[in-house]
Amino acid sequence: MKVFIHYALVLLIITGLACGILAMVNKQTKPVIEKNQAESENNARSQVIEGAVDFEKQSLKINETKSLDYYIAKDAQANVLGYTFIAIGKGYSGELKTMVGVDPDFKIKKILVIQQTETPGLGANCTKPEFNEKFANLTFNDLKVDKDGGNIKSISGATITTRAITNSIKETLDMLQKNLNQSVKPVQNVQDTLSVQQGVEI
Amino acid sequence: MEFISKIIIMAVSAIFINNFVLSRFLGLCPYLGVSKKLDSAFGMGMAVIFVMSLASAFTWIINQYILIPAGIEYLRTIAFILTIASLVQFVEMFIQKSAPALYKSLGVYLPLITTNCAVLGVAVINIGDKLNFIESILNGFFGGLGFTVVLLMMAGIRERLEKAEVPESMQGMPIALIIAGCMALAFLGFSGLKLG
Amino acid sequence: MSAMKELTKGLIKENPIFVLVLGMCPTLAVTSSVINGLGMGLAATFVLVCSNILISMIKDLIPSKIRIPCYIVVIASFVTIIDMVMAAYAADLHKSLGIFIPLIVVNCIILGRAEAFASKNGVLHSALDGVGMGLGFTLALVVIAGIREVLGAGQFLGMNVMPSAYLKQPMLVAILAPGAFVTLGLLMALMNLVKNKK
Repeated sequence: MKVFIHYALVLLIITGLACGILAMVNKQTKPVIEKNQAESENNARSQVIEGAVDFEKQSLKINETKSLDYYIAKDAQANVLGYTFIAIGKGYSGELKTMVGVDPDFKIKKILVIQQTETPGLGANCTKPEFNEKFANLTFNDLKVDKDGGNIKSISGATITTRAITNSIKETLDMLQKNLNQSVKPVQNVQDTLSVQQGVEI
Repeated sequence: MEFISKIIIMAVSAIFINNFVLSRFLGLCPYLGVSKKLDSAFGMGMAVIFVMSLASAFTWIINQYILIPAGIEYLRTIAFILTIASLVQFVEMFIQKSAPALYKSLGVYLPLITTNCAVLGVAVINIGDKLNFIESILNGFFGGLGFTVVLLMMAGIRERLEKAEVPESMQGMPIALIIAGCMALAFLGFSGLKLG
Repeated sequence: MSAMKELTKGLIKENPIFVLVLGMCPTLAVTSSVINGLGMGLAATFVLVCSNILISMIKDLIPSKIRIPCYIVVIASFVTIIDMVMAAYAADLHKSLGIFIPLIVVNCIILGRAEAFASKNGVLHSALDGVGMGLGFTLALVVIAGIREVLGAGQFLGMNVMPSAYLKQPMLVAILAPGAFVTLGLLMALMNLVKNKK
């Protein structure tokens, strides 16, 4: 019995020390990680809507458990240039996150795949400009892969990746269009405004 | 009906399209190490399926009800690997009591399931793919099944290969890797499979 | 064994990948590009050296029966540290390596060296063993990744090294799964050939 208590104690002490040290490292690195994430997303937003200097965060309640975050892009004269949102789909091996920029009439301006773990040389080519260009100026009805009867040509050998991106954009755009067309006035939320030009951190 | 088709999609996905060994590169050490004989391969496969399913269940619960509520997701790796190590310990004791012959044939490979990256791998994949409880267990089960399928194929091939004349420098690990490469090439054909 | 020997044995004579055949999973998975192989190798070396040192320091305090779980906690802690540090300061590499960072925990090289060496030797020798094995691992990863990246994408460290005609249609299979297995198999066969000739 005494032996077991000794074993348990040693294991407990080692695990306890480990958790303590990890908590400290976590405290140091967590803010850096979050800041990197915010910066890279902000970067992606600026890339999909050119000329935007300001992004105002909004949140749409889709149903009880789901809400969609999107950003209103404005230029220096506070004109609305369009909206940005992130479309999430399930690819061949993991989550696919695409940053999408649309104009006020919900026509796609530009897309940028910001997270993918697809096969290098095949699905991973979805990050290349040749792929992004396929989506420029498309509307909701154009969002179909060629294999499903549409006009978007799949990456050769990566139909699953192409389809996942296309369909996720279509779904999210649908949610955005439906809910925004109900003329919900976006509430001015100063705290969430991110000023790209000055690089102000919130 | 839709539930059954969902399960079939998961199974085909985990076993063929994204096979844990040939596509995700998980579980390679036992795949290359235990695949010399069909019967030990079969025993190992069964044990791995069992451990992967249970590990998926336990790690999901721990992640959902302990790690997330307490905000200590950074302790996930430690929590998961300790859970898996204890699980394997219990499975080992269980097999020792209930099937001593199997225990003897598996030998040192049983505790090695702890370091089988497929077990920790599937636990991490379940969280990353945001699967729910049932989906996680199924992913673990079918992942283990996929591992067993290719393990048995490899064992079958290697048993036959013993009668063939393999060049000296290719004997053992090199030829096993080439065979694995051929199998991976074959399985690559599944990547275009349209499901659902 | 002299200190120098501890360091160099991991490089060729007892190379963890080619000779000891340990750490197969990350070897085949992250060698699709040289930068990934290098990143993984260095991350694993960090964990290996730190865990070897710590385990060697506390080896007399750990009862033999629970040594494996204790080693696992130590190794898992260092893996978590490098995971968080990489996510904060090397985000792109962290994303590319993906699940193989937490999988360093079950990299048989690290547990293997803890059990076979650090638990029985002094701190300095354990540290050198860790450095040698880690560098040998990294070296092997870079060699394999070099072959795969050049043949499969026509690049080395992301820079084009093959003529543009090749870049249009590279041997894609080299950076896919089959290429990984075959490249490693052929390299091992080559090493056996050299060893047998001696």
